[in-house]
Amino acid sequence: MKGYIKALILIIVGLAILIPFASSYPDGLEKVAETLKVEETEPLWKGLMPDYTTPAIEHPYLSTLAAGLCGLTIVSAAAYTLGNLISKPTGQKR
Amino acid sequence: MHIPDGYISPEIAAIMAITSAAFLVWSWKKAKTTYPQSLAPLLAVSSAFVFAAQMINFPIPYGTSGHLVGGTFLSIVLGPYAAILSMTIVLLMQALFFADGGIIALGANIFNMAVIGGLSFFIVKLIAGNSTRGKRFFLGVFAASWLSVVLGALACGLQIGFSPAFSAVGGITVTVPAMLFWHVLIGLGEAAITTAVTTQLYKMQPAVLNGLAFLKRGAT
Repeated sequence: MKGYIKALILIIVGLAILIPFASSYPDGLEKVAETLKVEETEPLWKGLMPDYTTPAIEHPYLSTLAAGLCGLTIVSAAAYTLGNLISKPTGQKR
Repeated sequence: MHIPDGYISPEIAAIMAITSAAFLVWSWKKAKTTYPQSLAPLLAVSSAFVFAAQMINFPIPYGTSGHLVGGTFLSIVLGPYAAILSMTIVLLMQALFFADGGIIALGANIFNMAVIGGLSFFIVKLIAGNSTRGKRFFLGVFAASWLSVVLGALACGLQIGFSPAFSAVGGITVTVPAMLFWHVLIGLGEAAITTAVTTQLYKMQPAVLNGLAFLKRGAT
């Protein structure tokens, strides 16, 4: 378990370091849409943290970092639960 | 490659949702009978890695960017079935909380990234055979991760090309080549990162590479 927590910390540190270097250019699909002049319609659902920003935080770096940390928490928790559903729960002997 | 709502028609979205749902049921059933010990911590950490990596876009030429999708990576660590489920969680959370990928388009996004990504495991296996070390294995990882992005882009190009928003500007004869052009390049980034991360993981923590065990056992 210790190794997994270490790995998770490494992921958070990596994310914190790399956020400022992330490219803001459009991704492949966005570029195709842009070239073909297809407009994105008003989204049906804007999410709680649209485009990986935290609405309550103004500083762009901290806003994205906070969104990232929230995302990591939600994703890890959901994946952990899934893991327990599809395999033997941790600590339980077969 | 996350498709927002509005790019694909309800019909295409429905077809993709049904297809992906079938793959999810299949993965779930296979996963249930596959994993002898708890997968929970590994599933949590590897899904977290993919979520974080998808936030970091790397630039490619001509003012475009891409990011790691991570499907092949997950399939090597978790095996193909849990990889499909893991990526689905990432995509679901991205759509629900971050508006990254549409809600109606979720089925298409799951197919393009989770299903194709997870199944790319079998490309690794095809190239590497049962070998989990050496050049053939890493060649397999490189080729599979590149192909997973290119095939995902092909699927995406077809889905948007057959939908009204894009068929009005040329349809699949325009969208498929355009999607492939960018993702042939983005796929190289995917392949480089996946191969590098897998190499490091193999050196540091070979026991973690559950998926590798699948290669040896023949992925059953």
